[in-house]
Amino acid sequence: MDFTLKIWRQENRKAKGRFETYKISNISPDCSFLEMLDILNESLVNKLSHPVCFDNDCREGICGMCGMYINGHPHGPDKGVTTCQLYMRKFTDGETITIEPWRARPFPIIRDLIVDRTALDKIIQEGGYVSATTGGVPDGNAILISKHKADEAMDSASCIGCGACVAACKNASAMLFVSAKVSQLALLPQGKPEAAIRVQNMVAKMDDLGFGNCTNTYACEAECPKQIKRSNIARMNREFICAKVASEESTKR
Amino acid sequence: MKLIQFASITKKIALASFGLFLLLFLPVHLGINLCLLREDGGEWYRNASHFMGTNYIVKVFEIVLIACVLLHIVVAILLTIENFMARPVRYKVKTKTKTPFMSRYMIWTGGIVACFLVLHFINFYFVKLDIVEGKYSANIEKVDKVFQEKAMKLQSGELNEKDQAALMAQYQAISQITPEKMDNSKKNMVNLTKEEVETYCGKDFKYAEPDFYTMSQELFAKNSYSFIYILVFLVLGFHLYHAINSLAQTFGLSHKKYSPVIEWVSVIYAVVVPIGFAIIPLWIMFVK
Repeated sequence: MDFTLKIWRQENRKAKGRFETYKISNISPDCSFLEMLDILNESLVNKLSHPVCFDNDCREGICGMCGMYINGHPHGPDKGVTTCQLYMRKFTDGETITIEPWRARPFPIIRDLIVDRTALDKIIQEGGYVSATTGGVPDGNAILISKHKADEAMDSASCIGCGACVAACKNASAMLFVSAKVSQLALLPQGKPEAAIRVQNMVAKMDDLGFGNCTNTYACEAECPKQIKRSNIARMNREFICAKVASEESTKR
Repeated sequence: MKLIQFASITKKIALASFGLFLLLFLPVHLGINLCLLREDGGEWYRNASHFMGTNYIVKVFEIVLIACVLLHIVVAILLTIENFMARPVRYKVKTKTKTPFMSRYMIWTGGIVACFLVLHFINFYFVKLDIVEGKYSANIEKVDKVFQEKAMKLQSGELNEKDQAALMAQYQAISQITPEKMDNSKKNMVNLTKEEVETYCGKDFKYAEPDFYTMSQELFAKNSYSFIYILVFLVLGFHLYHAINSLAQTFGLSHKKYSPVIEWVSVIYAVVVPIGFAIIPLWIMFVK
């Protein structure tokens, strides 16, 4: 397969970026998108020019490192997959593919297609965990959890924090990410003791970092490679309202 | 960048709450408007608008309603600006993500409805607030009664010269209330302009009120107005469809059993209410 690639190139955070056009040919339909970029980069290196920089790590769709905005879709046109799991057979021969980095105020560009997603880590640092004290390993059946709740928590926990929700949202809102993280803990008894303060702190951090507000357009849900559901956002809203109304704990500034 | 210093979810809830009040008010307004369909010369409609214009509880709600309209608009605009600023560099390729059509254009459908609301306020609400001149009607019996009371004062010599002159002028004017000014459809009512109300009854006269019936009939007689009216309610339908769904999501009401019900309520409300409003000009155009 042959493709024309229009790729965003930007030297560093402050430099002015531009689109560069590359022709690439003889690509196997079974080639993954990142492998296709590897082939492009090899040819660029052979020509002694700088390869296209992009994030990637596990290449099996579980780490959340890869991520680029391909032809108007975060992670490309395929459903429920990350960029590394996107295959070139999803494109038509001779197609022009435009590749852009995630665009959001809290995601500054590091180079080319690599953006700094530390903002998501900062939100997690505000309470996306369960404070554990040391001691003996608790018995597996000491706390009973219904299968339904456990499954729901597992679904929420499958968020890999890639930032596609932010990239897809017309407001660059991180609500799906934050809500998945809030939900996975709020659904389980272990997360309950800190639930009220957690949701307030994480939302406050999300707002401070400059993410947009959610307008319930659900582009995040449509593009999430892990198919995190919008009901997580509703749950976070519910948790937030309950925390604000009922809890005496509140975010300290 | 934050234009309103509250948590994003708080802002969402505020916007939804203001909208919820407007959602609840719409059927009330629709109920009054549907009185126009009765062939009673506007009796029900006038009674309803009289109630809405004079009842003290309604007056309190009126202030809340106007506040909700303004806050809903202002918060929506500020949030849209905030949201736009959250992505300083836009994508070159426009998003191809499939999202519910209505949800993407809430600010635009809302903007169209808000523009119509300005027109609607000029046509009706500002007349009530005495900012814009409209049509008025007065109860001739009550005009008479006020006049008689003043005449009594004249006889007992309580009035000074200036008031006497005013009363004489009023007497002259009342005698000019011609039969064609009488509203046959409603007993004892006369249709008047603001100037006439003042000359006949004095500025402090309480029994003249804006004649919304005549005013609405005149507006719907214009096909261009009716066309705009129907179009705006079509747009409002789009706005409302996303509104109820979105409201439930914002308040955290998401449940496997009830969410489909909310979805249906959303659709039914978004279809029934705008159709209810749009029926009125259609009725006047094609049936009457």
